[in-house]
Amino acid sequence: MSVHDFWTPFSAGPFFNALLLGFTLGAIWLLAALGLTIIYGTMGVINMAHGEFIMVGAYFTFLMQTEAGIPWLACLPLAFIGVAIIGWIVERFLIRYLYARPLDTLLATWGVSLVLIQGVRLIFGGEPQYVAVQPHELTQSAELGFIHIPWLRIFILGATLALAAGTWAILYKTIYGIRVRAVMQNKEMAAAFGINAQQVYGMTFAYGAGLAGIAGAMFGGLKTVFPDMGLGYIVEAFLVVVTGGGHLFGSIYSGAILGELNSVFSYFTNSTFARFVLFVLIVVFLRFYPQGLFPEAKARR
Amino acid sequence: MTGQTQNLYHNKAGQWLCYIALFVVLALVPVFGAEPFQLNVYSRYAVYAMLAVSVSMVWGFGGILSLGQGIPYGLAAYCMGATMQMQYQTPDDPIPSFMLTNELTELPAVWEPFWSTSIGLILALGVPTLIMTIFGILMFQARLAGAFVAIMTLAILNAFYSMAQDLQPFTAGFNGISPPNPFTAFGVTIDPYSEMLYWINLGLLALVTLVSKYVLQSKFGTIVQATRDDAERVRFLGYSVSYFQVVVFVFAGLIATLAGIVWVMTVQYVSPTAFETPFSIYMVIWAAVGGRHSLFGAIVAAIVLNYLQTELADISEIWQKAWLLLLGGIFIAVVLLLPRGLAGLFEYLLGFIKIGRRQAAPGRIAAN
Repeated sequence: MSVHDFWTPFSAGPFFNALLLGFTLGAIWLLAALGLTIIYGTMGVINMAHGEFIMVGAYFTFLMQTEAGIPWLACLPLAFIGVAIIGWIVERFLIRYLYARPLDTLLATWGVSLVLIQGVRLIFGGEPQYVAVQPHELTQSAELGFIHIPWLRIFILGATLALAAGTWAILYKTIYGIRVRAVMQNKEMAAAFGINAQQVYGMTFAYGAGLAGIAGAMFGGLKTVFPDMGLGYIVEAFLVVVTGGGHLFGSIYSGAILGELNSVFSYFTNSTFARFVLFVLIVVFLRFYPQGLFPEAKARR
Repeated sequence: MTGQTQNLYHNKAGQWLCYIALFVVLALVPVFGAEPFQLNVYSRYAVYAMLAVSVSMVWGFGGILSLGQGIPYGLAAYCMGATMQMQYQTPDDPIPSFMLTNELTELPAVWEPFWSTSIGLILALGVPTLIMTIFGILMFQARLAGAFVAIMTLAILNAFYSMAQDLQPFTAGFNGISPPNPFTAFGVTIDPYSEMLYWINLGLLALVTLVSKYVLQSKFGTIVQATRDDAERVRFLGYSVSYFQVVVFVFAGLIATLAGIVWVMTVQYVSPTAFETPFSIYMVIWAAVGGRHSLFGAIVAAIVLNYLQTELADISEIWQKAWLLLLGGIFIAVVLLLPRGLAGLFEYLLGFIKIGRRQAAPGRIAAN
């Protein structure tokens, strides 16, 4: 392996394509991180089972396609509901008892993730499954001059932005959102004003899990579906949340920036080395900005 | 401290007796004539126990939840793997076969130092320590704590995992390095299936436990535990919290480093699985189930859980798969119901004995 093989020289067309791909990659990470952001931002819970919620969403989609023949687009909301119910159960019977010990929620949810991975492996086996993306055009690539991007990635970019906008609307434009933000700022005070904080936590966790379900339905079409697939998303998703500062807008910006950086590094070297450099950069970045990109909102958490 | 303790669990002499009893029992294992293969399996348990001690030190006592104990472990294992591979190579045949299949025509510069076994060992100890020191300084000077540290360590662990898998010409990628011959040092060949290896692993485990126990009972250990309980207060008392955190982080990393070195001696194999996320979290599970505040508990839990895993895997494939389901369940139950693990349960139960006696002698309550 010589330096020449390792280092790709600059050329305008492919580089511009890499920039565009970076946005779609950022969207994928943001989609994985969206539910995590809501759950961490509202409840301060580090949900290690989030990757497995994504995995369950993908298997849910796979099942509905093969068993019930439901088209892919219709599976997306169903995956949301299915995984949201699982999330609600996890909050109701496990997380609820651990709010006083935030670090232990991390451990307990890792236990959940272990159970989910192994449960799915026992039921479906370890071999990869495939989710069929319909309409079929989505599996092709958009070609325009030097631009070469799969339509599915563009679809995911759009869907992620729509979901982020929807989440923003719920948080800032509805009564429910006012309650969530009140509990976020001060749980006891909100409860004193008659808000059922317990219920808000339960619904928020279910909503975050549901977002992971949608993500799973889309990632299932993007790559193969297998029991360990959640591990491949969880670290990037966490880094998006941490770098962004733990709130919605921070995650959107950091998702875009990290996706871009990864894409540019990947262009010049390769994707694994890019991953290494990016992770190390994030650690160094957090050395100087431990509160993330947008620290002012941290106090409001 | 007047020597009168409230709970038998906190009796120092009793604690030392427990440790001595544990190591005597473990040392007796080869005496009962275990099969060479079985002995090798037991040697592996000693490595797992060292890793549990490492997690117990950094997390249970230092309050730093590191999900990246696989970093020093894996780095040391790769250095050791390279050392053992180069013991097999000769000046006439200097290039390991996996490099030839990856079309390397000469030995890469990073592999050159491993010609010498002593330099290889120094690197196996030094490289992980250096990296953990830099990493620790970066994290703890920024006053990162709690979940942030967990995520950072996880991220760096993942970064190393993908590097180990991707740099095929240097690390043999997914297949890993499997040195053909057992480790030889100072003219002595250490057969992985021999009693000698078991003694080495057990001896290292005992040494690591002893030093950890000693460190914990020193002034340094007291301050470390204080930073776990209330870092801000320790800072106001004029101590540099980050200094103590970095040192305990590196110390625990060193234990994992030793574990990585003997692991490769035990199995003659190293692959990216050393850097896998689940493996590093299993270490945390062992320490959590045994009791994060108890080295004894961590050692016993690591051995018992791995023993159960091996035994169940022997029964049938279904049990092998069900084991992880069971482990997840056990872990959830422990976190939820027994945050201090089995050692905490033991402490609680011993407390009952003492209450009975104390009621018999009422004057003691005021004295305590």
